Amino acid sequence: MTKDRAASLLFLCAGIYGFYFSVQLPMGRWNEPGPGVFPFALSLLLLVSGAAWFIRGKRRVKEEGEGENADRYAFIKNLATPLKIVGLTALLILAFNSVGYLAAASLYIFVLLFWVSRYRVVVSILLALSIGIGSWYFFEKVLAVQLPRGVLFL
Amino acid sequence: MDVFGSLANGFQTALSLQNIYLCFIGCLWGTMVGVLPGIGPLAGITLLIPATFGLDATGAIIMLAGIYYGAMYGGSTTSILMNVPGESASVVTCIDGYQMTLKGRGGAALFISAWGSFVGGTLSIVGLMLLAPTLADFAMKFGPPEMFSVLLVAFVLLGSLGSGSFFRTMPMVFLGLLIGTIGMDPLTGSMRFTHNVTDLYDGIGLLPVAMGAMGVGEILIATEESLLRVIHKIKLRELLPTRDELRASWGPIFRGSGIGFMIGLMPGSAHVLSSFVSYMAEKRLARRPEEFGHGRIEGVAGPETANNAASGSAMIPFLSLGIPTGPAPAVMMIALLIHGITPGPLFISKHPDVFWGLIASMYLGNVMLIVLNLPFVGIFISLLRIPFRVLFSVILLICLVGTYSVNSSTFELAVLLFFGILGYFIRKMKYDMAPLILAMIIGPTMELSLRQALMRSDGSFSIFWESSITMTLIAASFLLLVWNIYRGIRPTKASWEKALEESK
Repeated sequence: MTKDRAASLLFLCAGIYGFYFSVQLPMGRWNEPGPGVFPFALSLLLLVSGAAWFIRGKRRVKEEGEGENADRYAFIKNLATPLKIVGLTALLILAFNSVGYLAAASLYIFVLLFWVSRYRVVVSILLALSIGIGSWYFFEKVLAVQLPRGVLFL
Repeated sequence: MDVFGSLANGFQTALSLQNIYLCFIGCLWGTMVGVLPGIGPLAGITLLIPATFGLDATGAIIMLAGIYYGAMYGGSTTSILMNVPGESASVVTCIDGYQMTLKGRGGAALFISAWGSFVGGTLSIVGLMLLAPTLADFAMKFGPPEMFSVLLVAFVLLGSLGSGSFFRTMPMVFLGLLIGTIGMDPLTGSMRFTHNVTDLYDGIGLLPVAMGAMGVGEILIATEESLLRVIHKIKLRELLPTRDELRASWGPIFRGSGIGFMIGLMPGSAHVLSSFVSYMAEKRLARRPEEFGHGRIEGVAGPETANNAASGSAMIPFLSLGIPTGPAPAVMMIALLIHGITPGPLFISKHPDVFWGLIASMYLGNVMLIVLNLPFVGIFISLLRIPFRVLFSVILLICLVGTYSVNSSTFELAVLLFFGILGYFIRKMKYDMAPLILAMIIGPTMELSLRQALMRSDGSFSIFWESSITMTLIAASFLLLVWNIYRGIRPTKASWEKALEESK
């Protein structure tokens, strides 16, 4: 699949979603347009754009042939680090309120440094504690941001 | 009150100890994010938004604006000394700036770059000071049809001046507009696309979207390549340029100021575009254009002046019309909205202290920056020694806490992550997230103006032809649309367009 085609799928999905839900909203009349008119028009525009890029993307597959395959492998290969970061960030968000900022953030930084950045355990622990405590102090004490304390009251 | 009286009041505001400090912090942080590759002015501003919550609106905007124009100064340092652009507007500075460093004239290039940035920045503030109140006064006469017409022109221009082609930018604009409709309809109170999720009733927050798309998305892209960056050792030789270099740089500095100021008024990546256009203009005007690319001072002076001038004039549409023309002004607008201030035609008359305080602080900030960027340039270079594999985790943490601190909502953290992932994939697909964010900001006003205009005219579209302003603006947007479509499908491209694409 070309990049244009992947993008076209995103636009088509957004267009279909917008279309499906906007037709359920009141459309009103021209002298009193309802809340559905604007999203409906945008959904149609997204569907048209998506369809246009889908067709253009198909043409590109034929033109580019193997080059596109190489691109695809590089894309998948490069995905590992971003996936690790996204996964860890999702876990942090889930644990944010229950575990508390200090513990969750320190653990998050430790895993990032150890697993993603490949630092040694001791270095990762020291850096994670410094960043965790430093950021907690900066946000909670200096900027007076109310951060979650969680079950550990940290 | 006249301009100079208002400016004097502005200086009273800006010269308070707290605002001088905030201006300095903004300029310092701006220079730092400009120097560090991978963190541009946009990320720099978004990261510091949480720090403004305890401040008044004037202090907040003074600091955030300082980051914006400070980043333009800092971006050139690594371009000249290391051939690594600190931010996108400094890409073109690498061409001749680094060559000058190789010839032992890096110090002179830094000096001219800082001097040009100072002149360009200061001239654009003069323009901003004179033009913004006039434009705001004019815009106060605008009703819903006029407002819709202005926004229509802005959207078509956005499509033409985004970093991608018109056909690539417009779907992102449509997507941004559609996301902007999520939440309660302001006219009828109906819920749109909320699916009974209470967190969505007020719509999707702009801050998590901007921080996710620009902060988290950028980090995901940057970590994909390599977490290790090679830092070269730099020796700074003499900073002072020769008399010939000074003489050769005056023309490009003034031309760059004009080019940058004009381009900054238009939507899109104005500071990037202005530096390219300035470089091309200098090359065309040069007696020996073949020397460009081999260390000509004009190739540094023009672009560096232009991107600073553009950053000043980009504030005009944002402050006087409420239309941010680029992602960085958009994030500043979000910050002002968080502080309960809506930029637009009424902004200057309702909040003169904020507007004139900002203008005065920009004059001060330019002086601070020239001091920061010349004698202390070595300190900023040493920032590059912080390993990126540590820095990225800190930036992620700041994005998360910054988002959480607005509403103490983990739902917004999920939105942040979602838009981070979306931003990553959009960038991978060679699309641009900035038009989506701009569309999200302006979209609700555009929809409201359209619907109010139609209600006022009892459903007749002739309301858009009734006044000369709307007629001109609608005609302009139609012509721009036709030109964009032609430009999108024509086979050949202008030299600066090719250069811009190559650099990306």
